[in-house]
Order: sequence, then structure tokens, then C-alpha cells
Amino acid sequence: MVMEMQQVLRLIMQMAKQRQQLGLRTAGGLLVLLWTDTGASTQKINCTVAAAGPWCTGIQIEALQLVLADLKDSMFPCVWPHHEPDPEELSAFTDLYGSLRLLLSFQVKDTSHCSSEWQARIEAFLRTFTVANAGIQIHLKFKIKQQTSQREFRVKFKRKVALADLLLTLDVACSAPPLWCVKKGCWCERGHPAFGGRLPLSIPPQAMDQGLLGDLSVQLVTLLSPCVLPYPNVATELTRIQNTSNIPVTGPSGFFQTLPAALDCQEMGLDRIYCSTFKDLVYSGGTVYTVEKDSWDNPEQESSLPTVQQSLLLFFFLQHSDPFTSQLTDLMATEVLIEHHLEDILNKNRQAVTAALQAELRNTLKVQHHRKKQQEKLHAAAEVILSSSISIVSSSSSMDFRNACLNCMKVHDTRELGASLRESLWRVMSWKFIPRARCFSAKMEVHPENDDPTTAEI
Amino acid sequence: MELHVDEQFSEIEKLRAELLANVDVMADWQRAEEEISHQEILNRIEGIILGVVTSLSKDEAPVLALPNRSSWANVSFDSTIGLQMSSRQSVVTIRSDCPSSAAKFAQILKILSVIYRLVQSNSYATKRDIYYNNTQLFGSQKAVDSIVDDISCMLKVPRRSLHVLATSKGLISGDLCYMEEDGTRIDCHSSSAAVSVSSNISGIKNIISAAKFVLIIEKDATFQRLLDDDFCTKLSPCIIITGKGVPDVNSRLMVKKLWDELHIPIFALVDADPHGIEIMCIYKYGSVAMSFEAHSLTVPSVMWLGLLPSDLQRLRVPEDALIPLTKRDESKLSSLLERPYLTSQPDWQKEMKLMQQSKVKAEIQSLTAIAPDFLTNIYLPNKLRYGGWV
Repeated sequence: MVMEMQQVLRLIMQMAKQRQQLGLRTAGGLLVLLWTDTGASTQKINCTVAAAGPWCTGIQIEALQLVLADLKDSMFPCVWPHHEPDPEELSAFTDLYGSLRLLLSFQVKDTSHCSSEWQARIEAFLRTFTVANAGIQIHLKFKIKQQTSQREFRVKFKRKVALADLLLTLDVACSAPPLWCVKKGCWCERGHPAFGGRLPLSIPPQAMDQGLLGDLSVQLVTLLSPCVLPYPNVATELTRIQNTSNIPVTGPSGFFQTLPAALDCQEMGLDRIYCSTFKDLVYSGGTVYTVEKDSWDNPEQESSLPTVQQSLLLFFFLQHSDPFTSQLTDLMATEVLIEHHLEDILNKNRQAVTAALQAELRNTLKVQHHRKKQQEKLHAAAEVILSSSISIVSSSSSMDFRNACLNCMKVHDTRELGASLRESLWRVMSWKFIPRARCFSAKMEVHPENDDPTTAEI
Repeated sequence: MELHVDEQFSEIEKLRAELLANVDVMADWQRAEEEISHQEILNRIEGIILGVVTSLSKDEAPVLALPNRSSWANVSFDSTIGLQMSSRQSVVTIRSDCPSSAAKFAQILKILSVIYRLVQSNSYATKRDIYYNNTQLFGSQKAVDSIVDDISCMLKVPRRSLHVLATSKGLISGDLCYMEEDGTRIDCHSSSAAVSVSSNISGIKNIISAAKFVLIIEKDATFQRLLDDDFCTKLSPCIIITGKGVPDVNSRLMVKKLWDELHIPIFALVDADPHGIEIMCIYKYGSVAMSFEAHSLTVPSVMWLGLLPSDLQRLRVPEDALIPLTKRDESKLSSLLERPYLTSQPDWQKEMKLMQQSKVKAEIQSLTAIAPDFLTNIYLPNKLRYGGWV
């Protein structure tokens, strides 16, 4: 089921990619409906894929039908005549995105795939699609054995970026920091992608034997979340790394699982990086790593300094070009080959990819270290400011002055005054807010390749 | 040949008479040093701390506003005072919530707390003491020196009233006796060794001197040369003083003190180069950095005795003793000519334009090219006798 779904979606994506290369609009909707038909002896799964909006305007349906016919012949298991989807479902979709540009339906007869695992795989696949196509909103609905579940892949903040000849729309929405520590509404809801270098990849012989030729490269893009640019004095701590790709990784990747062991944690000032469980891999659509930092140096200071935990999203954008491949079926076949040999490709280029990753992590952590140093400077200054102020208040013989200070802070004695001043000073220092245009601009930004510096903040 | 004392100092006496006539029309407050009470100083410091506490009570980052002591826009020129800080001045903001300025904010508050204790206990400390008590916080002596002056300007209180003393750089010798605040009696008459300028000028009392003039000497090397040549005996009675280059506040205060107490002509002997002229202007008109204390530091009556650019031509100083002006010298010279205080000094302008045209400069030591003892035995005595100052 997953394979059939992938093939159909891959076809649609290729056609959309061609439109992206022309710089055309990439907004709209994609509807994926899966429902079961309980027949006399076997269960059939019906699938409908519908598309609407500018992103699929102009798709040649005739060309699509030809390729689909090829697909139907090659799909496994056999595709039976399909049932039409519920018109109400389609109606709700067209109400949102306009008239349908594309409507494909097919059926698979195999009950063994009706599991929550393949549902999760389809979700992960669609999530991969949204990585580089955040402008397209996806509605996924399952009606399996009278149980209905639905997901919407909707992006709050998008950003168009150009990578070589490809125009991508990235999901740059990021989580908010803890609300207790920031003014309401004064946090940046969008991330700011930072572009790493473009790394050419060697194609392994076994992939070449199967027809994967041409040029293959990977572009790393990083996104830190939540964004703390408006809060220059707050320290940050990288606690989670998640990698995602425009090529679906549907199973455990040996390369990504063993990647932490290949990274030089000491060079980055980290204690260790380790991979999360496979369960997380399936449902998150990528590999998730937990980052632990060595905090032996000054555990007391560590606990007193306000720190925002951040996640780093690592986009691996694999790009392939072959002047001799232009037909849709060939392009789809190439994608299948890349997906199939992804592990081999990464292993063949292990050293280079690891070095590129190390460099990106190092850049991210450099920013973190800089913030930490700045916070330590503030902390040291705060202690002197407080001790000097309290020294003067304590030794003053002017009752008016002393009372004015105590009344200001609503305390009763200099001991309470010291504690109250400390809390207030540390709060105003740590959560200093500077509005940044790039964090609060209402417009969607369009940037040429490598416009942003590789370190997002400096 | 020894000159009769009356002949030697006749021009100087005439000058003195002219200066005394002008002194009478000057405002009395120029001579009297304002005394600010200890309590007033403590009140001003408490005002700053209350400002810090008030900001924090509103969850705002405390900020200090320091008058900008480096901007020419903050000073105005008065011919009777020199360069003084304008009543409306731009400020430099020191924020406590910015990593690049938080350290300075902390240093300022630390020094304020030190000063508070000193004034409260009526004790004194030097800037050096303050630095060495917390070298890690301050980083350098220069940082402490600068902040003490900033605080003095911010509180509008002379540094000496803050009970912070500075080790003096300058030296003094000649017909002068006085008593320090602690009762120590100082006699500057020794012909072989000079006396360090006091670090507590305001505490000096019982000044006794018959000196006819004071000679400010730019460089220590020249000062030592005059000592070695027994200048103070040959041109007795007189006082010579040096700040060893750019003068510190104590050296300037001492010159001011001598003028206020003795009302005798004060001459400057500096190299014939832009740097020397600028140093002389500091004694005469003050500096931008200390303009907030101008009335207690400047001596507008200072006269330029030498080395004048016109002296180089007149005396036919050998060409190999002359040095071409560098680009920096030319730039400095142009800058000096644009300074507000030179508009009232046409003779100085004339000398500086001569230097611009000749494109050469010379040190006082260049006079030894004429004769080894030319400076002490010929040049200075003749200059003083015949009124060769501008």
C-alpha cells in the first residue's frame, strides 16, 4: 500500500517540481483519502489522491494518465477497479482550494497492510513531502474498519529558498519558548534557516549498475527552534537534533543511527549525542538525537542561569541532475533508485557528510557558546552592581534615602532589598528584548541561495 | 656677564603689572575653589543608587548617563576660563543589560561605593589603591583613572573632593616653600634634586615664594637639563615645573595654585612642534576631557616663551637639527589652528602658520647645536630679559 501511494505521490510531486523550476506558485492543497471496502471474502483499500490550487495548475492530465497506466501495470499487489470517494469529502476540499486539478483513484487488495504502522509510514512520507513543499497543505484521512482518523499538514510560517535550480518552500514555524519567561506575543514564531555548503556525493557502484547516473549532491540547511534572536542575553542549550530530508527514509537508517559515534563531541563541548528509539524514527519522519552537554564545570552557575532549550532541525536536501533524464517515468525511477540506495550513498560518502554535519553543528554551538559567555559577563557584572548598591544603602545614615529604596522595592529591610534587587536585575538582564525585523516582519521572505550566513545569529 | 636683577626682570615686571590689572576684573569665583560638603557628595551618590533601584522596581534595566568628555561639541570657549563644558551636553549611555557595557556599569558602581566609604570616613585612597584592590574587575589602571574622572564629571564634584588621590607625575623646583595638609614642610630650593608635585594640591597652605616667574617645561629631559645647569640660581628667583609631557591633573592644579597665590607671569617652554603647542594649550586653556573642571585647572595667562618657530629662523638653528613635519604633524597643526581659543591669539597663529609654511619642527635640544649651554646661558635669559614671549 505504501509503495503504491508513494509512486502516485511521486508522480504528482515530479510534475509539481517541474512547475517549481519555472518559478510558478507553489500553494494549494493535496487530499489523500484511504478507506476500506469490506467485501465478501477480502478487504480492499481504496485510495484517492486529489489536488487543487496553483501548484498543480497546468499539469498535463494526458501525460499523467500514460504514466499512471505504466504504474498500474507495475504496481504490486494488483490494482483492482476503484470505488469513487465520498463526494462530500471532495466538496469540503474544493471549498478550501478551488476546483480540482487532479483526481486519481485506485484500489489495493491486501488486508495485511491495514496496520497502524503503514498509516504512520504514509504520514511520514507525506511529512517528507511537506519539508520542501510547505506551501501545499495536505489533508490525510483514514477510514479503516469503521475507524476514522485524519491529519492535516498545515504550515504556519513558510519561507521560499532557492537551492541551485530548485525553489523550495520550507516550513520555518518554530515552537515558542516557555511562556512564563517572555512577554506575551513578544517571541519569534518563525525560524531562520541557515545554509551550509553544498556537498557533491559519489554514487556507489551498485546504484550506478542499476542506472543511477549523473550528479548527486546534498545541501545542508539548519533551523534552530525556538528562535531567541529577540532575546540576545538569554543562554541557549541544544538538547535535540532532528534530521529530515526531501528523500523519504522509511526505515531505520544505519548511517544516521551510527552518526553520533562518528561526531567529535569533545570538539563541540558536548558530552554525548545519541540516537532516539526507532519508534520515534517512524513517527517523526527522520532521525532524532538527544544532546547532552558536559555540565561538570560549574553546576551551581549552570542551574541559576536562565537557559532556553533548542532543537536543531537539519534538512538534508539531496539533489540529482542528469542531462539524459527528462521523462517523467525516468525521473520517478531515479527517485526510487535514490531512495532505495540512500543508505549506500550516505555510507560511500560517510566521511564527507559527517564532516559537513560536524561543521554545521560547530557553527550552531559557536553561537550557543557566545551567548553563554555573554551571559556570564552579565552575571559577573550583576554581582558587582548589587553588592555596590547594597553597600551604599546599608552604610547610609540618611533615613529618607534608605526608606525610599525599601519602599521602591516594597521590602522591609536591606536583606530583603538585596534579594529583591537581585531577582529584578537578573530578570531585566536575562530577558532583554530587542525586536528584530527578520523575526517580526509580516512579509514572507524570498532569499537567493546562500543568502543567509551559515551561523543563524551572528 | 651677570645682569642686574632689575634689568633682567624689567619686562617680566611690566608683564606682571598688566596681568594684575586684568586679574582684578576677573570673577572672584575663578580664584576661589568651590567647596562641596561631604554630605552633598554623599547625597549625589545616593541619588544615583536610588535611580538604579527605581529602575529595577519598574522592571527596567538601570542606565547611567555620563557626560561625553571626548566631544568638542560639548565644550565652549571663554577667554577668561578656557575650554569649559557646555551647560547642555551630549551624554554617553551606559546600560546594565548590554554585555558590552555591563562591566563598565559595574565598575562605575563599584568605584562609587568606594568613594562613598572614603568620604563618609574622611579617609583617602589613590587611584592606584582602587585598581589594585580589584584588578580583575577593572582590568587596567587606565580604566580606573577614566571612571574616576567620569564620576567626577557626573557628580559635578572635583576628584580631590571625592577623596581619591592620584600619584603625581610632575616635578617642581625653585624659590618655593609650602606646607602639605599633613603638616609636612616642602622646600623646593634644592638645586640638584626636584620635588614631586604634591598629590593633594588643595591641601597645600602657607606658600612662600619670591619668584618673579614660573616656567612650565614640557619635557623631563629639558627640566633635568635646567636643573643640572643651575637655572633656578642663575635666574633666581623663579620656579620651574614640568608635567613630563601631557600634564596630569595635579601638575595643572599646581600651576593654577601658583598663579592664584602668587600672580606672577607663567611661561611655557615647549618643543617647536604641534605636540608641544598642544601641551602648552592644555595648561593655558584646558582639555576637552577635563573641561568640566576648567575653572580650577586653566591658567589663561600662560605665555609662550619658546621654542618659537620664529626663533629657529632668527637664531639660524642648523638645518640638520630641524625635523620635517610628518603628515600627522600637519594634520595636528591644522586642527590646532581651528581651535576656538586660537582666534584670540594672533601672535600664536602667526607662529603656527610659520611652522606650516616652513614645514619643519624642532626640539628644544636643537639649541645645543648652536652651543652646549645655549639654552640656559643665552636663550632663556635673553628671552626673559627682552620680553621674547608671545
